Amino acid sequence: MTRRTLATGMLLVALYVGVPLLFGGDLYLMSNIVAALTIAGIALSWALLGNLGGMVSFGHAAFVGVGAYVSALCVMKLGVPVFAAIALGGIGAAMASILIAPALRLRGPYFALAILAYAHIFKIVATEWKSLTNGSGGLSSIPRFPQWLGFDFGSKTGSYFIVLSLVLAFAAIYNLVRRSHYGLALRAMHDSEAATRVVGVNSLLLKGWMLLLSAFMAGVMGAFNAHYINFLEPDYAFGAPWTTLPIVAAIFGGYRTIIGPVIGALVVYLVDQLIFKSLIPSGHQVILGALLIGMILWSPGGMLPPLTRFFNRRAHAEA
Amino acid sequence: MLKLEAVTVRFGGLTAVNRVSLEVPPAGILGLVGPNGAGKTTLFNAVSGLVKPRSGSIQFGGHDISRWPQHRRARAGLGRTFQIPQPLAQLTVHENLVVAQRFGAGAVDEQKLDEILQLVGLAAKAHRDAATALSLSELKALEVAKALATRPQLLLLDEVLAGMESDSKRAFREMLQNVHERFRVGLLIIEHDIETISALCPRVVVLNFGEVIADGEPDAVFRDPRVIESYTGAVPA
Repeated sequence: MTRRTLATGMLLVALYVGVPLLFGGDLYLMSNIVAALTIAGIALSWALLGNLGGMVSFGHAAFVGVGAYVSALCVMKLGVPVFAAIALGGIGAAMASILIAPALRLRGPYFALAILAYAHIFKIVATEWKSLTNGSGGLSSIPRFPQWLGFDFGSKTGSYFIVLSLVLAFAAIYNLVRRSHYGLALRAMHDSEAATRVVGVNSLLLKGWMLLLSAFMAGVMGAFNAHYINFLEPDYAFGAPWTTLPIVAAIFGGYRTIIGPVIGALVVYLVDQLIFKSLIPSGHQVILGALLIGMILWSPGGMLPPLTRFFNRRAHAEA
Repeated sequence: MLKLEAVTVRFGGLTAVNRVSLEVPPAGILGLVGPNGAGKTTLFNAVSGLVKPRSGSIQFGGHDISRWPQHRRARAGLGRTFQIPQPLAQLTVHENLVVAQRFGAGAVDEQKLDEILQLVGLAAKAHRDAATALSLSELKALEVAKALATRPQLLLLDEVLAGMESDSKRAFREMLQNVHERFRVGLLIIEHDIETISALCPRVVVLNFGEVIADGEPDAVFRDPRVIESYTGAVPA
């Protein structure tokens, strides 16, 4: 057994056994961990598009919202089982991303603004399509996660297991894509798209696949959240925080890595909710904003590179 | 293999390429020369799909490829290099070739990649960072290698010798000759270096202000008064 396999095994045990054993009784802390992991999942989907696809999205709230509504409506109107509906939520968000595909021809800030506009359109549709979504009145009593084999997945610990598994699955998918030839081509496209096209890479199609995959992941997280909080309304489901928090988390952690967005989400959300909020109950996000500005100025690659350097130096010093 | 018929490219009111017709036979070599701003690179961009011609047709391998996207032209066997090298900068030299071969030729063949790396002289730097580890002449070699990895039938070489010392130029010229012979690949070469054009190309087309002003064997073409005038601005006595 290699050290890497051993470390991975120990990490999984810590996540699946240690965290519930240590914190399972603290419902407030567990709900914050679940929320942080939800943002981590969306941050991973954002980073997949931003890092591999080279497209900065200001509209991930659209995919989160569509995924949430599709899943909730599938369960409430069609009687689809909750776990199947979550997958359908992801597929719904991926389908919605096809409508955004024309924006793939745009680059940089133009793409970011176009996707922001698309996100707003989805929110308007959810608000105005009252016969389906109940408009701004929202959907309440959305079915929670079921019990399986005597274990209640609707509990805080059960929801933690679900969201943790989703985040780990997304990280694995991200890793698979990055290590594939498609990942190589996507990385190659960052500096010169023309140079990749003239060697046979269909850059538009590749970016389209990344958008589809990223939307699916964000949609699944939105669907998870709908069944976790059991309530939806357009302002919440398509709200700006579903775009801004994952971006902040991804940049804070380092969106060029797979682990960065996850670490970033956990640190940003948990530190904000558990420490800054107790210091400044109203307006605590100001501290987070200041920290983010500092991070961008002094370590644009996120917090992982300086941390890695610090631990490497310590390891060398001890050796 | 490549046949251009009355290809015209305009940028607003400027006609960069005006009704240019030329032909490169299978595995043939054609030189494309002309003063700066003559429309040579624009013509390459039209052939490889980076700009759309206003009119005319571009045929390659019996197909009209005028409306094909760039990646499809590359997969059909049309390789090209850029005047200013454009390495896939986040990748190693080897990964540059893997991307080109996987997407241009359809599958990765490590043996073939090794052969290409040996041929262009980059085998020792295969696993080095393409953006930082290469000199200018090595970046130019990488341009050729990337294009070769797509398994082209025709290579469009845009001033691959520009900026090189004379020794490097000679070695590079020999490398291009080897590429042509070993892979039976056609070459369409833009080059200012007359010695190189004369050594490599049995036929030369001269462009000036977007129009073909001469077409023939290098010796005859470079004595043509219109060609001399296009370069010097003066009519020879």
